[in-house]
Amino acid sequence: MQGFLKSHSVPGKMRFGQYFRRYWSLYLLSIPGLIYVVGYKILPLIGLQLAFKNFDMFAGQGILDSLFKSEWVGLKHFESIFRSRNFTHLLANTLTISLMKLAINFPLAIVLALMLNEVKNRIFARVTQTVVYMPHFLSWVIIHGIFVTLLSSNGVVNHTLRAVSGKTIDFYTNPQIFRWLLVLTESWKETGWSAIVYLAGLTAIDEELYDAAYVDGAGYLKRLWHVTLPGIIPIISLMLLLRMGGILGAGHEQILVMYNSTVYATADVLSTYIYRIGIGKLDFSVATALGLFESTVGFILMVSCNGISRKVLGRSLW
Amino acid sequence: MKAAAQKQTAERVGRTINGLLLFILALICVLPFMHMIAKSFSGASAVSAGRITFWPLDATLNTYRYVLQDGLFFSSFKNSVTITLAGTFVALAITTMAAYPLSKQYFRGRKVILMLYVFTMLFYGGMVSIYIFMRSLNLLNTLLSQIIPLALSQYNLFIMKTFFEGIPEPIEESAHIDGAGPIRTLVSIVLPLSLPSLATIALFYAVAYWNSYYHAMLFVTRADVKPLQMYLYELITTAQNLYEVDPVIASGLSGGGMQAAAIVVSTMPILMVYPFVQKYFVKGLTIGSVKG
Repeated sequence: MQGFLKSHSVPGKMRFGQYFRRYWSLYLLSIPGLIYVVGYKILPLIGLQLAFKNFDMFAGQGILDSLFKSEWVGLKHFESIFRSRNFTHLLANTLTISLMKLAINFPLAIVLALMLNEVKNRIFARVTQTVVYMPHFLSWVIIHGIFVTLLSSNGVVNHTLRAVSGKTIDFYTNPQIFRWLLVLTESWKETGWSAIVYLAGLTAIDEELYDAAYVDGAGYLKRLWHVTLPGIIPIISLMLLLRMGGILGAGHEQILVMYNSTVYATADVLSTYIYRIGIGKLDFSVATALGLFESTVGFILMVSCNGISRKVLGRSLW
Repeated sequence: MKAAAQKQTAERVGRTINGLLLFILALICVLPFMHMIAKSFSGASAVSAGRITFWPLDATLNTYRYVLQDGLFFSSFKNSVTITLAGTFVALAITTMAAYPLSKQYFRGRKVILMLYVFTMLFYGGMVSIYIFMRSLNLLNTLLSQIIPLALSQYNLFIMKTFFEGIPEPIEESAHIDGAGPIRTLVSIVLPLSLPSLATIALFYAVAYWNSYYHAMLFVTRADVKPLQMYLYELITTAQNLYEVDPVIASGLSGGGMQAAAIVVSTMPILMVYPFVQKYFVKGLTIGSVKG
């Protein structure tokens, strides 16, 4: 580290003119990325003013002109949103699905990592890992296709159920069961992939600690408690905080593909509703207001959780 | 001595049970896909009767023939290939160029630029904003509208930056002393050393593009610019309906069989590449995800 600092004390001390003459190409390299974030991520934020306007498609010529010429209405949309029962309902759905996923899928990945870590046969370990990581690379559309095929009323699962018990399960139309379907298809897709981070943490634990515990007569559970868990607690806490930060994201790409109107009662979340009224009904103002609420709260949560993580764990995402 | 032997036996039993459970988990990951493959090769009546488990009945290739002959399947497949190739190339170029300066502690303005990337990663402008962006630039119903949204992932950028930071300083130093500027150092020294990382990031982007449908759902309504995933989505929803109402479609194919065939064909590119590149993915995930 010291050598590193020393080797660059020269560019650090230069006056900017001299520095720029030597390193201008670093700025040149930065340009495409900057054009991208400024052009595609920052500039479109002017659209957020629609949350405080009554959007009128025909107020001007072309959509951008209409955006500027629409009439300001202050906090009207927010007032009606926060007062509507629908909003409470959407927020409740979002948090419920998110927390269910957190409660089930978060520990599942840790358990899987612990299990994979115990495998001593290298070939078996590699094959198992390859297989359980695989679903991560399938799109939600594909996964939806696979599970519809398995679980629809004519699918193999219900055929078997009918033959065995005479009853069937409406996975896609029963609002309560559908939530579990969302949680468990996410387990299927992401558990293996999420386990990787913990597995990396586990393999970094000093083998000698295990040997010492073993010599001391510690059984598996004792070693798990005194050696393994302390070794990965930092990474577990970090991952937990990051997930808490993203608690408003219930997985809208998944839900958008998998849900249908019979399960709106339990599966309609903030972002799917925004999609339906914004892109479906072109009700831009309300959609923007709801989206702005979601983005702002999400942003605050993420920044706070990252801050906590930096303070408490000494690790952070940025 | 006896206690120790007992303990050893217990550990061996535990290990066996663990292996068995993992084997079952692996089966859970694989079997649904096996079921799809079996279905895609099966005759219509067996599919409609729900008799397929993990191997084909009344084996046929008609489903594949139908899917591959479908003009819309072909055009959406072509669109996805175009989007994936062009998008991955552009995204990789932007990401590499942006990451290199950021990996240099002495790059003045580094903090500000980093903040910009972090902020835009955390604050989502909302789908209406980007819809208006695309529409005002006349980009609705184009392939470009599906390339732009994924052309820079801040997450990949940070992974790349971490990779570059890991290249030993003296190696680059020697190039500086020889009079090479940053761009020449990047091209002739840093990039050749980073091929595995470049491959990782390229694959992250390629998978993201191949699997993407969300932005197509926002920006695309015309059939001839739809990507493969959207074609599949529509096939799944409509085939499902046909399947529920009238299992035997006029052509003698089952909706379920066709759906399965289309899914298998669309997943093949990923499944064929994946086992060979898996270790790079894993490395990419563990190296860049967390700042220590």
